[in-house]
Amino acid sequence: MIKRFLSLEWKQFRRASYFQKGVAIKILLFLAVLYFGGIAIFIGGIMFFGLKKTFPDIDPIVMVNNYLVYWVLFELMIRYFMQQLPVMNIKPLMIIPIKRNSVIHYLLGKTTLSFFNFISPLLFLPFTIVLLFQGYPVVNVILWFFALMCITLSINFLNFLVNKSNTVFYGIASAVIAIVALRYFNIFDITEPVGKIFNGLYNQPYLAIIPLLMMIGLYKANFDFIRKGFYLDGAISKKVKEVNATDLSWMDRFGSVAPFLKNDIKMITRNARPKQVVLMSFFFLFYGLFFFTQKMYIEEMPYLLGFASIFITGGFLLSFGQLVPSWDSEYYKLLMSQNIPYRQYLESKWYLMVFAVIVAFILSTPYLYFGLDIYLIIAAGALFNIGLNTFITLFGGALNRVPIELDTKAKAFSNTNGFNPTQLLIALPKMILPIIIFFIPYHFISFNAGLVALALSGVIGILFKNFFLNQIEQVYQKGKYKTIAAFSEKK
Amino acid sequence: MITTSNLTKAYNGVTVLNIENLDIPKGQSFGLVGNNGAGKTTYFSLLLDLIQPTTGHIKNKDILVNESEDWKPFTSSFIDESFLIGYLTAEEYFYFIGELRGQNKSDVDALVSQFEDFFHDEILGKKKYLRDLSKGNQKKAGIVAALIGNPEVIILDEPFANLDPTTQIRLKSIIKNLAEKQGVTVLISSHDLLHVTDVCERIVVLEKGELVKDLVTSTETLKELEAHFAGSELV
Repeated sequence: MIKRFLSLEWKQFRRASYFQKGVAIKILLFLAVLYFGGIAIFIGGIMFFGLKKTFPDIDPIVMVNNYLVYWVLFELMIRYFMQQLPVMNIKPLMIIPIKRNSVIHYLLGKTTLSFFNFISPLLFLPFTIVLLFQGYPVVNVILWFFALMCITLSINFLNFLVNKSNTVFYGIASAVIAIVALRYFNIFDITEPVGKIFNGLYNQPYLAIIPLLMMIGLYKANFDFIRKGFYLDGAISKKVKEVNATDLSWMDRFGSVAPFLKNDIKMITRNARPKQVVLMSFFFLFYGLFFFTQKMYIEEMPYLLGFASIFITGGFLLSFGQLVPSWDSEYYKLLMSQNIPYRQYLESKWYLMVFAVIVAFILSTPYLYFGLDIYLIIAAGALFNIGLNTFITLFGGALNRVPIELDTKAKAFSNTNGFNPTQLLIALPKMILPIIIFFIPYHFISFNAGLVALALSGVIGILFKNFFLNQIEQVYQKGKYKTIAAFSEKK
Repeated sequence: MITTSNLTKAYNGVTVLNIENLDIPKGQSFGLVGNNGAGKTTYFSLLLDLIQPTTGHIKNKDILVNESEDWKPFTSSFIDESFLIGYLTAEEYFYFIGELRGQNKSDVDALVSQFEDFFHDEILGKKKYLRDLSKGNQKKAGIVAALIGNPEVIILDEPFANLDPTTQIRLKSIIKNLAEKQGVTVLISSHDLLHVTDVCERIVVLEKGELVKDLVTSTETLKELEAHFAGSELV
């Protein structure tokens, strides 16, 4: 029976839409996997030496154990937002004479092969190997690693429950908030006792049985949960959420684009996929930390500053904007046959992106910590984003004809929507243009001249808004039939 | 109202629709019947400029649909679920369509309230997104949305499929009323010969993209149609 399942699974994999893309994409995806895997292995490998160098007094393994709790929380959060649950696939299996138990075992077993379960081993296996070579006690180290893997799988199963049951979600969410708040207000630092627990796991290797039992327990809980709800309207059904209608009539002041703006806001707040994008764009805000914390970038590669500043305020713009017509792919025919001028549709998307850049800019105020220069370059980058990047992104969207399922989370590494050579070509000016605009005046005149040039390019873009929108509208009009046909293709 | 001339649509050299001449006058209730693949939906898609004609053109109130967008303000349609916005509630969807067609909230409310019995209390005020409604209820919402904003031309593809009997009967009276009393040109397609003959003044039969029959509905029409389709099944 398992063999049958596996062959079904193999077919699903081979015939998935993302696998049938061109060779170039496959290679790129492969490289991306290698890249991220490589980074994880690399970090895992140097972690020991890095920690030893930075904190010579503390044993690296103790240090790792002390902060492991954050890794666990991080993993839980990432999984909650990113990991897709494989539940829907069992519908066709329900009426076939297969024992329910084996379907459920299979289903749960399948989740262990998720990409997210490999991050931890990729990170901690090299670390463990280094520990072994450094002469740490073999039994302790290996059982510690084993315990970590059990914890990873526990998180995997916990995530399933969290996603399926509101009580579990709110319970865990409030626990996490409490932990962070207690630490923030210096009332109680959970890292210490939890660190002790992890250190205990290392020092008393037989304790590894606790995570093992925890994993088994969670597996059992999942099993019972699915077993009980093995009906179309039970655990495998999509949650039917009750509508939380918000009054958006204040947006009517935006005139003719208001209906679209209101609709877009609803689209973003009510669907899984756009929510994910918003979350991602929030992470983009921290992108600057990579650059501004390193003296090297500021002093030796200042042209990269323009690059960084684009990303800080442009996260939403880049990730949402590049998929612009696709967001409406589910009802594109309606939009095309309704009383809608294309122009208004595009303009409303433009306003949305501008709004997002402004919000991101306000949120980026803490970068003032790195000095006024840095803050000003973020401001100039924001202007560039509003004035030019929005248009480049909208233009690129016209070439993108991949339908999006709004209420399905994107799978890690299968998210190749809008990932094609043309899209990459379009992405280039978004990255390189700000570097050039900033660097040339900077190199020949001064830092401030670079700033002004970057800001000015944005202002010019805003002044020519109508011209740009007209051009983009024509591109969209031209591709209209192709886009409609592509969007109505069923996956 | 709607003139079709020399219209063909071909995919990879295979002609799927070929209509030399078809005139639909204002205020007519027009029915399109045919087996699967006869070209009904293709014709409606061409009428809404969702696909490009290979040759020929359609004029909607003297406007070339594939060149100008000016037919949109007075034309409305419901073809399939892709005309619904899944993450809106039925009310929000109606208001959205209303806004697009220059109707304010109370206009929309007034129109929708006429169809309360049509909804059987299953659509309005249910705090449910359209994507969570059953197929039949989705269809009802889509059809009612197509009536918003006093359109002069209404295009409905298979409006009777998936509907419960009560609603089918109610929909028939709505469509009749639109064409007879309000002068709206209504185009519907259906597989159900009985419904079409009940509702439409004129019925056109498509077969493999060709127009094979053009009938003014009379008491004989249903029999004639049944004979036609029974016969073509044997061939």
